Amino acid sequence: MIGAFRRSIQFRYVTITVALSAVALVAVGGFLSFSIGNGLFQTRVEQILQESKRDSVEVQNTFSSSGATDAVSLQVLVNAVVPNLEQNAASGSRRVALLRTLNQATDQFLQSPISTTLSDADIPASLRDKVAKTDNRIIYRTETLFINGVQTPSVVVGSKINIPVAGQYELYLVYDISDVQATLDFMQSTLAVGGLIMILLLGIVAYFVTGRIVAPVARAAEVAEELALGSLDKRLPERGQDIVATLARSFNRMAQSLETQIGELSKLSKMQQRFVSDVSHELRTPLTTIKLAAEMLEARSDELDEKAKRSLDTLISQVARFESLLSDLLEMSRYDAGAVVAELESNDLKTVVKLAVAGLEPLAETLGCELRVKLPKGEVIAELDRRRIERVLRNLISNAIEHGAGKPIVIEVGQSKSAVAVTITDFGVGMSRSQMDRVFDRFWRADPARKRTTGGTGLGLAISLEDTHLHNGWLQVTSKPSQGTTFRITLPRKKDGIFTESPLPLGETLSQRRIV
Amino acid sequence: MVHKVLVVEDEELLNRQLCDMLENAGYEAVGSLDGVNAMLAFKNFNPDLVLLDIQLPPTSGIEVCKEIRAISGVPVIMLTAKTDDEDVVAGLEAGADDYIFKPMPSFKVLQARIEARLRPLRAPEANELVIGPLVIDVLGHEVRRDGVRVPLTPLEFNLLQTLAESPKQVFTREDLLKKVWGYHYDADTRLVNVHVQRLRSKIEDDPDNPKIVVTERGVGYKAGQF
Repeated sequence: MIGAFRRSIQFRYVTITVALSAVALVAVGGFLSFSIGNGLFQTRVEQILQESKRDSVEVQNTFSSSGATDAVSLQVLVNAVVPNLEQNAASGSRRVALLRTLNQATDQFLQSPISTTLSDADIPASLRDKVAKTDNRIIYRTETLFINGVQTPSVVVGSKINIPVAGQYELYLVYDISDVQATLDFMQSTLAVGGLIMILLLGIVAYFVTGRIVAPVARAAEVAEELALGSLDKRLPERGQDIVATLARSFNRMAQSLETQIGELSKLSKMQQRFVSDVSHELRTPLTTIKLAAEMLEARSDELDEKAKRSLDTLISQVARFESLLSDLLEMSRYDAGAVVAELESNDLKTVVKLAVAGLEPLAETLGCELRVKLPKGEVIAELDRRRIERVLRNLISNAIEHGAGKPIVIEVGQSKSAVAVTITDFGVGMSRSQMDRVFDRFWRADPARKRTTGGTGLGLAISLEDTHLHNGWLQVTSKPSQGTTFRITLPRKKDGIFTESPLPLGETLSQRRIV
Repeated sequence: MVHKVLVVEDEELLNRQLCDMLENAGYEAVGSLDGVNAMLAFKNFNPDLVLLDIQLPPTSGIEVCKEIRAISGVPVIMLTAKTDDEDVVAGLEAGADDYIFKPMPSFKVLQARIEARLRPLRAPEANELVIGPLVIDVLGHEVRRDGVRVPLTPLEFNLLQTLAESPKQVFTREDLLKKVWGYHYDADTRLVNVHVQRLRSKIEDDPDNPKIVVTERGVGYKAGQF
């Protein structure tokens, strides 16, 4: 409920509308029922008082003018009063009591008549007291009395009557005003039902009105969300001239310019990648010609003098470097174009490491450094693109050989339940912190002036990083100047597998200097 | 015997360089600079092998390859500067027996590929082999189906013969590369896949549901059991 209140604007506004209109209706209804009730009551009381006054005067006159002095004739007159008044009521039913004022010096010799459904006790003592002490005026009071056990709102009107010889009496007229109460009740219930219907209708109206306003906003939110998720061609319907249409139009303009700009950018980026790819391809054919020509010359190198021979060697080695640069560039442009797909198969990482090491043994031997390989027992199976991982390892090992200052290189393979890893550690020149930060940058070289023996292209580590990311793996480095460098590649066992820790520590071999 | 090689390559200098080197290596070489000339030269020169550049004006090398295949089973080796998979597969599907990327590691590698394609056939283990409805006449280098000759390129014949000679053996793609293509290199198994498809389209009743050359899932291919 509270959740819906927070989430839905429509729900919120409908609830607020209903709550506020309910408060307003209760206030208005309360006021109406109070003032109407009051008005009804006052009118009725005035009517009752007029009637009572008239009747009271009439009763007094009857006694005053009768001239009767004996008890019997007075009793006859007294007895006639009650039924007369009961029948003479102008408005509704009334009950009558003619009671002798209490505590009089003279003796009571007349019986006090009273309506059958009324008793002395129904007339409040305080009222009797007040009536007894007041001259020439009628006194009234509203009371709830019981008639045959039923609660009845009543008005009791009292007045003094002097009966000659017999003394002072009090005439009470008791009016039943339950009809007024009934009218009031009916009006109140009508008001309540009407109010409820009104609130319901207001709720429905609020629902539709907010719906009309909220729907375009909700649609805009939906489209904005889709846009954010990459569906750049989504638009809002533009209808009419109102503020919602203005919102839709400016939203669409924004989306349009976004789409145009992103399209422009991706076109540019595609053109650039395409250009790099085309250049690499276009260079291949002349490179092939140069390479074949150099090869032909090489076959006849004994016919050349020393200097010409050296030139030929330069030509051949630089053509080879050019070629590897070209293929690295092409590989990089494939990654940039997102055109690389891993061919994953279950492979034993140990086999891949052995292949990479075997390929680099000759280079290591030439530079007089030893490759020490530490393999765990058993197979190290993971889903790999063998060609790419072998390339990464070859690249890392040849870097280690190149920067290892002729000291042994340690290659270690490890595995855990979720991941496999290889570390390659050299104890050579190492790198500073700032060099380490740039080591995966394209065309970055630790020492541009240093002689290159392996003919690296400057793209090797950038490609290795892409190859690793293609496997959802990590490629990390730690290094200390003049102590050495460790690279660690960690790969999940399955492509979508999750690992949080590499099976091998990074930098332990280096800090313990276990080899040296 | 001097083998004749037709070099179809639009880059004049590379074409001449290749012809020179082929002649140096003891072949008779003829160069052709575009697709139209290539077909003329093919008919006049009647080469034993074609080196075919895939990007060729005005018709592409793939078209030339299809035209050659329509009239002859002569080995075709594609030269391609494009390393994208679809280009390689398109060339192989057009009927090329093999391909080599530009720049090739060395002329010697190219020569080895050429030699592998020109190598005389192995001494046959039997004169006649039978798989299901096919009769393979090894000496006559012919495959007949219900007495009707099925036209196969030498490479396709070689592939079928290799499978038929060891009917119970499952050959991995690497095995076939070694045995049929005569060398093994960075195992491009697409070469095998594409040629098995081409062979099936010629000999099977329903190439999608092959009976003669059967795929052994996860391993390779073998001759069907009848």
